[in-house]
Amino acid sequence: MGNCLKRSTTDDISLLRGSDSVRESSSEQLGPPNYQEPLPIQAASPVYHPSPSVTRSVAQLTEEEQVKIAKRIGLIQHLPTGLYDGCKKARECVICMVEFLVGDALRYLPCMHTYHMSCIDDWLMRSLTCPSCMEPVDAALLTSYETN
Amino acid sequence: MAGLSPSERRLQKELMSLMKEPPPGVEVDFDLAEQNLLHWIINMEGAAGTLYEGERFQLQFKFSNKYPFDSPEVTFVGNNIPVHPHIYSNGHICLSILTDDWSPALSVQSVCLSIVSMLSSCKEKQRPPDNAFYVKTCNKNPKKTKWWYHDDSV
Ligand SMILES: [Zn+2]
Ligand SMILES: [Zn+2]
Repeated sequence: MGNCLKRSTTDDISLLRGSDSVRESSSEQLGPPNYQEPLPIQAASPVYHPSPSVTRSVAQLTEEEQVKIAKRIGLIQHLPTGLYDGCKKARECVICMVEFLVGDALRYLPCMHTYHMSCIDDWLMRSLTCPSCMEPVDAALLTSYETN
Repeated sequence: MAGLSPSERRLQKELMSLMKEPPPGVEVDFDLAEQNLLHWIINMEGAAGTLYEGERFQLQFKFSNKYPFDSPEVTFVGNNIPVHPHIYSNGHICLSILTDDWSPALSVQSVCLSIVSMLSSCKEKQRPPDNAFYVKTCNKNPKKTKWWYHDDSV
């Protein structure tokens, strides 16, 4: 919560849309505003999230973003995983709100919060934080990288 | 619950738990939500002992098929938009958990509770200082607004 002023800087979304975003803001007062869907992305190619609210296909990523995402995938793959063994400490994945079943593939974050691997990996590609405690997961990982 | 997408399955669970244990002053329009799990209307009552006591508000939640990875689009709708320093007269709400600080561990219930507490802690009913300009120039979708939150370091 804050002082509610708009950031006046250009954001990634308007850069992507080019001239569309100009038309969008100037026609806003007339009639129903034209709600815009994100850019169409080919269903076949994977999409990435350089930041949580930005979705891009590989072709739309800048070189810098590609490096960032490659690093991120590397980091995520270093997080411990395992199969749920029925342990009572972790029972439910807060992302899908479904109880763990014996044999589910899990991922353990450094803060000891546990999620389905498929659920948390989807989030970590957007933000390297634990959804439950907001603890950044990359700091702990980087230290373990260096000591190994 | 066959045939539902992962986001609809989670919304179905949230709907069930709100039906069983609704937080005080918060009431979901279940019929509407059941028709379309991606669009909810929530009736909210101003809490007793606050500036909004006796008032009734309507909140609209729109979810994308990326929920809960994507935050819901939450706005006040209807003819009574709370007069509050973080709520614009078009219903847009300046609340960081709705954009930058969203986490998939949050839920409809936690968003409602944040909004209730934001209303309850209000000392003086007034619109944000840039209300007139914002309402004229903003995108229809509040998630497209780049809000400045006071802890923002960008
Ligand atoms: Zn899960
Ligand atoms: Zn955690």
